[in-house]
Parts: sequence; C-alpha cells; structure tokens
Amino acid sequence: MFNDLKVSFFLACKSIQRGNKGTSILTVLIISLIFVNLIFFPSIVDGVEETLIRQSIEHVCGNVVIEPKDDQRYIDNADGIEKKINKLPGVVGTSSRYITGATFFYNNKLKSGSVHSIDPSDEEVVTKFHSGLIAGEYLGKENTNEILLGIDITGKEGEVTGDSDLGGVQVGDKIDVTFSNGVIRTYRVKGIFDISSININRYAFITEKEMESVLGIEDQASEILVKLSQKGTEEKYRTLFLELGISEDIETWREKSADKIGSLVSSFSLLTVISTVISLIMAVVVIFIIIYINTVNKKRQIGILKAIGIEQNVIIHSYVIQVLFYCFCGIAVGLLLFGIITSYLSVNPIRFPLGYVRPMVEQTLILQNIISLIVFSLIAGFIPAWRTANENILKAIWG
Amino acid sequence: MGNVHVHALKGISLKINKGEFISIMGASGSGKSTLLHQLGLLDMPTQGEILIDGKDVSKLSEKERSLFRLTQLGYVFQEYAIISELTALENVYLPMLMMGRKKQDCINAGIDILNKVGLGDRLDHLQHELSGGQQQRVAIARALVNKPKILFADEPCANLDSESSRQVLELFKKLNKELEQTIVMVTHEDWHMEYTDRVIHLKDGLI
Repeated sequence: MFNDLKVSFFLACKSIQRGNKGTSILTVLIISLIFVNLIFFPSIVDGVEETLIRQSIEHVCGNVVIEPKDDQRYIDNADGIEKKINKLPGVVGTSSRYITGATFFYNNKLKSGSVHSIDPSDEEVVTKFHSGLIAGEYLGKENTNEILLGIDITGKEGEVTGDSDLGGVQVGDKIDVTFSNGVIRTYRVKGIFDISSININRYAFITEKEMESVLGIEDQASEILVKLSQKGTEEKYRTLFLELGISEDIETWREKSADKIGSLVSSFSLLTVISTVISLIMAVVVIFIIIYINTVNKKRQIGILKAIGIEQNVIIHSYVIQVLFYCFCGIAVGLLLFGIITSYLSVNPIRFPLGYVRPMVEQTLILQNIISLIVFSLIAGFIPAWRTANENILKAIWG
Repeated sequence: MGNVHVHALKGISLKINKGEFISIMGASGSGKSTLLHQLGLLDMPTQGEILIDGKDVSKLSEKERSLFRLTQLGYVFQEYAIISELTALENVYLPMLMMGRKKQDCINAGIDILNKVGLGDRLDHLQHELSGGQQQRVAIARALVNKPKILFADEPCANLDSESSRQVLELFKKLNKELEQTIVMVTHEDWHMEYTDRVIHLKDGLI
C-alpha cells in the first residue's frame, strides 16, 4: 500500500509540476477566495457579537446588574450595598442609577424617553458612555440643572426627521423635562452623546443629586451596575454577592442582554450557515469540474496506465493528491489574504449601526473550515477520478 | 514458458513458442486486434480459455490481471501512448516503480534500456520534444523494462513514416535475436513480414 501511495504521489507531482500552470494558479486562487469567504463572514458575525457584548458591558449594564425584586420599585440602602460590593477583590467599581420615564419638550417638539441619573465619577469607572460625547462636556457631581442627551433625542440640526426627535438641540440650549411623577424641570444641555449602541442614544442623564430632588427619595436605586476586572467571572461574583446578603435580583450582562444580542446573533448565524453552505458547494463544483475535465482529457492516458499494469486505485489517488495540493495551497493563500484583510479592518473597522466592528478570528472556526473544505474537495475530486479510472481499458484507450 | 494456447474468437487455437517473433495480419475487422487484446489480458473472452505458461489467466481477478500485465507482459500501442507529463526516462521506469523497486534501481534500469533502444541522449525529454519514432522507442523501452515474458505490439508502425517504421522493426528484430524476447505484433503491412519468424493470417475471426 505504501508503494502504491508512492507511485500515486509520483504521478501527482509530475502532473502538477508539468501541467498547465495557469490552471493550477487559477484553481489555487479560487480555493483561496472560497476559504476567505468561509471564514470572513463568520468572523464579522463574531465581531458583531463581540461589539454588542462590549457595548452592553461598557455602555449599558457593566458586568453585573443588581435590580429591585419584582415587588419593589427601588433598591434600598443602595450606598451600603455598593460599599459591600466595592470591598471585594476583582470589583473595579459600582454605579447606582435611578431610571424614570420622561417627556422632553423643545421648540414645540415633544419626545418621550427615559432619564437615568448617575454619580458621574462612579459612572466613569463602570461604563464608558462618557467617551461617546460628541458635543459639550460630561456632568459634574454637583450639576443640578444640566442634562446630557443622546443623539436620538436631540436629533441633528437641519435634518428633517418628523417627530422622532427634537429637531436639532444644541449644547447650551434649554429643554423642559416632564418626569413621570409630574415634576417639570428645565435643564441646560451640557453634552450630547452618540454611541450607536443598544438603545443608549435614547437616554438622557442627570446627576443623582438632581434625580433625588425630583423623585423625593434618597439612598435608593433603580439599578446598581458592577464592573469587574475580568469578563467571564460574573457567575462567581453573583455567588459572592448572594453570600454578602444581597437579596435583590442579580443578573449578568449575558442575561440582561440575552434578548437583544441573542436574536441579532441568531439571525446572523443563519446567514453564516447559508454562506458556508454556498461556499462549500462552490468549492465542490470548482474541484469537480477541474478534475473532471482533467480526467476526461486524459482518459486515454489513464487507459494506457491501466494497460501497463498501474492499478486503478493508484491512478485515482494521484488525482486525490492533486486535489489535496490545490486545497492546501488555496488555504495557505486564503489565510494570507484573510490576515491582510483583518489587519486592515483592525485599524479601519467597519461601521455598523450598532458600532464599529472588527473581525473576530477564532482558531476553532478556522480549523473547522479547513477540515470541511478539504473533506468536500476530496469527495469532489474523487468522484470524477473514480468514474474515469473505472472505465474499461479498451474503451478508455480507443473510445 | 513453452506454449500459449488461446481459444478465442471463433475457435482459434494458437501456439507461440518462447523466443518467437510473430506477426498477426488480416484485413480490417478480421479480429487481429481483438485477438491481441485477449492475449494481452486487456479484454476477456466471453467463452474459452487463455493459457500462458500453463496458467489459465482468463480466471484472474481484475487486480490479478493488472499485476500480471505489470510483471509478465509488455505493450506497445499504435499511437505511442507515452505519458505526456513524464520524461522519457520516467515513462520507462514507471512500471518498475509500480513493482516497488528502489528509485535509483529504476533510474539505472531505465537509462540502460533507453541506451539499448538508442535514446540515451533523450532521457529528460518530454513527449512533445520527441519525434514519433522516438516516442515509439520510449514505449518499447517501457514495455521491456520489467523483462516481460511476452511483448505485444498493436500496429506499432501505423503512425510512423517508413524510415521510423524500419527503425522500430529493426529494434524488435534485435531484441528478439539478442534477448530472445517473444514478440507478438499486429500489423497490416506486408513488408513487415520479412522481420518476423511467422505470420498468422486472420480472416473473419478465424486463422
């Protein structure tokens, strides 16, 4: 058997070495492009998921969110809870928020939304939404008559958007806010932010001090966000929080964002599957055609080889080895191309509505697709080789 | 190797002795190529036996026939039939490689036999770099490299000019005389008879 493989290898090498170079290069190029297609789209999907996750953690909810139990509206003793949590090693910081519905009024335009309150210095540690400021400044701890607005509330001056926003609020403008409890306040717009993240552009932010004066409460919170030093340890900290005696609802970022991220990722995953199937079909078709044409053109030669005593399997394996060669070369070139594309996109990420996305490369994905491509290509190459080599010797030689 | 008994076609019985140079002649459709294919195990009879050296080769499996062709028989086809991607030397030693011989031994044997057929200076030439007569001589060398018991040649001069044809027939004659190579050749040219020991005429599948 080893000798048979040696002869197959010999025939394959000579065929590749002395065959049509143009065809070989084209075949390798096509395989490389198919391979890039196999891994590029899933890497973008993974990048989208990673962006969504990062934005959830960095802009929306931190690593862990503590919320009131179902029968309560607010968390009591929010400061005490935060102090306990902040003492744990691995906790970077906590930020408590009040959340309430409100209506914004500006220049005869109305917009509904929600107002979140923050302790600006705590919030800076836990989330990064402040980095999304596109105009103005971040809140100071003592600001009581100033507000930060998301771009979905302010709109852009000059853009006709109907009633979906306030038609172009600028930094320094004054807007009226009617809170859900009926309190009306006028705020100066201190900053405008645009994060293109999950919903956050629809929020407004005021200071905790201001919100407590509106709601008439203190040392409570609608939610407490917790930032951890290491992603992936959320479950462990949930347990630790419970051991600290925190009885409120504790959710990880994954649970908090499951609906939004999950459905988006599922849709993309379906597209990934379709794209993968199409790519593999393309690979099968290309390899099949190339080997089919090759074997049909060499049918007489194959007949001669069989006539002089070269075994049929040796001939078939020589074509299989050629397919393997094209596959490996195509994959190598594909990896190089993919490397160039990912390097470029790392520096110049793709702008999606939900944020900037870079391709995420997973080694298991690459390995999986290498194996799939090789397996399907081998089958595609084996079939025409087997069909031609199986033909009767006399018919192959003389037709 | 003493006798080749073939019961083929329409009841042909044929005996070929070791060292004989036989030509099989006949009009088109007389069955001469069919007879050669049967003798060379490229095809199997629908009825009857093929005995080579007393062994009934018509009962062999496809794999066994392939091995028998590799080790015991040699072929020269009408249209040269050398592999276009292999050099003259590689074409010649390919059957030896298939038998599991060491690469260097194959190369040495190939060089030796190509020298014998007068192509010692064409070892690294590919098919398109060889004339018709040279390609046919490569095919003859390939057929002989495994020292077959019988060499079958199916109209080996059909696509050659008269000079090249003479060279090929001279070579056959030389191999037959010097190496006592048994050769069975199908031809339709009368003047080829002068090179052979015996002529078998076929007509309508009968001798």
